[in-house]
Amino acid sequence: MRENVIGLRFRVIPARRMLEEVIASLRGVIAPAISAPYPKTQAYMAAVILETLARAIEERSDVAEAKRRSIERLFAELGALGVGAMTEARGSVADDERLAKLVESLYADRERLGEARFAAANRRVRQTLRDLLDADLKIAASKE
Amino acid sequence: MAASAIEDRIREDLQRRLPGVRDLALENFVQTAGGWSHETYIFDASWKEDGRGVRRGFCLRKDPGVGLLRELSSLEEQFRVLKALESTPALAPKAYWYEPDAAILGGPFLIMEKIEGDVPNPWSKAGKQVYAEAAARGTLPRSFVEALATLHNLDWRAAGLDFLGVPGPGRDFARREIAKWERLARESSAEPQPVLAEILAWLKANAPEAQRLAFVHGAYRTGNLIIHEDRVAAILDWELQVIGDPMYDVAYVLSDLNREGTPLLSYVVDRGFFVAEYERLTSLEIDFEVCRYYDVLYMMRTAVFWISASGLFAEGRSKDLRLARTTYALPSVLDMAAKAIGF
Repeated sequence: MRENVIGLRFRVIPARRMLEEVIASLRGVIAPAISAPYPKTQAYMAAVILETLARAIEERSDVAEAKRRSIERLFAELGALGVGAMTEARGSVADDERLAKLVESLYADRERLGEARFAAANRRVRQTLRDLLDADLKIAASKE
Repeated sequence: MAASAIEDRIREDLQRRLPGVRDLALENFVQTAGGWSHETYIFDASWKEDGRGVRRGFCLRKDPGVGLLRELSSLEEQFRVLKALESTPALAPKAYWYEPDAAILGGPFLIMEKIEGDVPNPWSKAGKQVYAEAAARGTLPRSFVEALATLHNLDWRAAGLDFLGVPGPGRDFARREIAKWERLARESSAEPQPVLAEILAWLKANAPEAQRLAFVHGAYRTGNLIIHEDRVAAILDWELQVIGDPMYDVAYVLSDLNREGTPLLSYVVDRGFFVAEYERLTSLEIDFEVCRYYDVLYMMRTAVFWISASGLFAEGRSKDLRLARTTYALPSVLDMAAKAIGF
């Protein structure tokens, strides 16, 4: 409970609950009352976005950390597969950019690496990409 | 610009284009919710001409300057395509005018005929029901296949459609498509997307050879078709057409992307019927392996659509919440593509 400036006490509604209330209103009250197609679609879209945000509020920090760890593990292990030179772009380069560059380098150097080494490295990269996707899906999975 | 101001400007513009008419009035003016690249307005116009009353329906598409396809979409090209199609049996609306001057409505625009019929939304519950009932009656599925076969049987050179660009032999068509969408992704996002990078690299490494070139719509599905009395009255969304592999359109029809929760292709046509009827009408044999490849290309394309859309919203260039929503749709389509290529 918190006290507002004029001394009335009120219960603070958690952000997720507040969002759920707004969503319910958009879906059940506001959107059905709109007859023009464009504004009606906008109202439904607002509800869908807020549903996803409600999930993101609880899960975003966990997801970001899991993704960072997954990428770190990948770059640590790739050296053992003999493609260490491709993992050198570090420092200020963002994780996603580093990983995208690695993917492009692997395909560009496929002939030089040989099919067996390419396949092994590509398999390991895809494993990390799958981890990243699963993390994103945890938030994005819709109840629509 | 407010809808009422747009309506006034359109009436003034029509009056300029129809100088001999009197008492020009617009009715049933509505901005449709559909269309991600352009603002679309549908209206009826009535006027007096040579002492008699005339009434005609119009559809106006305006480039808002923040279209989903950015510079890949050109209203002028759409106008040229629709004009070229007028001399062919393709089911397309007649194009009346193209106006490049952005000063009139705030962006270039195209005015074409309003075609009688409906465009049921295939992703809505009501739309799914409309298509399922039409599928059971049988007329619309046949019309759906016939309209596509008509496009693929067109003599596109004779129609003057080679201005769209003609791919070279072999893998050139697929590579051109990949390059087009990769360019849009790069223009739309400040941050590289590693899963998309893997999908693009796989597509480049596995591009198929086109067995034949045809006039390809590029987004042939229900939702882009006007339906009237159980038949396709017109094909819409002339933004992605190319001269290319006809299997590109066939793959889109076969794709799971366009038949969520139903075995019916594009929510309306039985797979076996589509395959047999398409092959009969075009004398082409469907190459399912190539179609599976193009299906992945479509998943990549859809991912790039979402990246472009959410980018426009993030950049503050659009306030359309449908674009904001696509941020959360991206992982699902990347997931589909990743599974299709093995991870």
